Amino acid sequence: MERIAVAKVGEIAEKGRKIITINGMEIGIFLVNGKYYAWRNICPHAFAPVCVGRISGTRLPSRVYEYIYGKDQQIIRCPWHGWEFDLETGEHLADSGVRLRGYPVEVDGEDIYVVIKQAVANQS
Amino acid sequence: MSDKPLLIDTDVHNSFAHRRDLLPYLPRVWHQQWLEDGVGSGLKPWSPIGVTKKDSLSPNGGSFANDPHTLLEDLVERYEIDYAILTGSVSMIGISIHFDADYANAVASAWNDYLIDKWLSVSPKFKGSIIINNNDPMAAAREIDRLGSHPGMVQVMMPSASRTLYGQRFFHPIYEAAERNGLPVAVHPGLDFGPPTPSGFPSRYIEFHNILPINFMAHINSLVCEGVFEKFPNLKFIAVEGGISWVAHLMWRMDKNYKALRDQVPWLKKLPSEYIREHVKITTQPIEEPEKPGQLAELLQMIRAEEMIMFATDYPHWDFDNPKAVLNEFPRGMRELVSGLNAARLYGLEAPVIS
Repeated sequence: MERIAVAKVGEIAEKGRKIITINGMEIGIFLVNGKYYAWRNICPHAFAPVCVGRISGTRLPSRVYEYIYGKDQQIIRCPWHGWEFDLETGEHLADSGVRLRGYPVEVDGEDIYVVIKQAVANQS
Repeated sequence: MSDKPLLIDTDVHNSFAHRRDLLPYLPRVWHQQWLEDGVGSGLKPWSPIGVTKKDSLSPNGGSFANDPHTLLEDLVERYEIDYAILTGSVSMIGISIHFDADYANAVASAWNDYLIDKWLSVSPKFKGSIIINNNDPMAAAREIDRLGSHPGMVQVMMPSASRTLYGQRFFHPIYEAAERNGLPVAVHPGLDFGPPTPSGFPSRYIEFHNILPINFMAHINSLVCEGVFEKFPNLKFIAVEGGISWVAHLMWRMDKNYKALRDQVPWLKKLPSEYIREHVKITTQPIEEPEKPGQLAELLQMIRAEEMIMFATDYPHWDFDNPKAVLNEFPRGMRELVSGLNAARLYGLEAPVIS
């Protein structure tokens, strides 16, 4: 396993997200409720660049005609078909069996690192 | 004390300066819809994800589909597309439902001339659709005759929203002109001014989008039963953006009823499904996603629809079908037909020369 520096704490704090490339592989780095997450920028549905989608809250599961707003700034919506993914778990809200591919994130001082398998990191 | 009589104004229209002025009084769950759609237009239900896919919007909010060069780059080059059949915007396709037929005629002609001048001239990969106002069939026929021989125009375009069913004789001058010019007639969901279902309006966009094929089924049923394909044996009809698997149900049900009630339509010499198979093309998008890979292709093989299906992305809309994902659903022999051969044969397009 190898950890690769991808961003500074300051720059993510400002915009909430950054999309980086590690050896041709795009990954979105997100700050959600004070923690960092890294998700592959490919939607499991039809391979759209999911990490550029709008981030917002959503309407939580409820009773009929009941509306409950929640998970503010925690949900990303794929820019194509609108699939909602929870940025904390990577799960698709309409089907928890479908999820984004994620990578561990480490923070060391001002630096944010993504942890990638050695073989992938060394691909040229 | 004044002699002036009491004056009371009983109708003064005040309002807010900005939609956001209402937000403090509105529950959070409704904020996005209110800001984006206000009280609504009455015509089109609001979607929380909008109409255009988000990565085809420029920073100032304009769509890449509004300029031939950005469209070429964002779609044609990115996906290595050989030909892009340009259908115009949904609202332009829907010009037929405009109340003022003279205005609609003028706008449709203007669009067609603009398309030829500013789009078809940019790339040989662009092919165009003649948008007509079908509320004035004689004018529509003249427009088809005016532009039908232009090499860049490959079809006639109408909305699925209509005042009456498309098999009705009211529309026959259009089919006559299309057949005369060797052009298929394509129909696409447009702004509906009537209810999208026979029992009224769905409450939300998701419901509206779910059942768009209802109108396609109604029109194709009408075209077949009114004998349009007997009267115009060379006419082809395209159902665009309705998905595909409902064709199976329609064919089976129509054939069954034809065997019982043939005398109501004595001008039909073949099974309804045969007319559909020979005269109707269906575009793939938004492609259905059954539980298992291969099931969709299996259904289409059951009704021998291999030559009916043409691939489409619906770029730049949110329900865009990625060619790299969707075409893998079809087995090898069918894939080439869907991907381009069916369209090439229909539109008379040649494989581009590889330099």
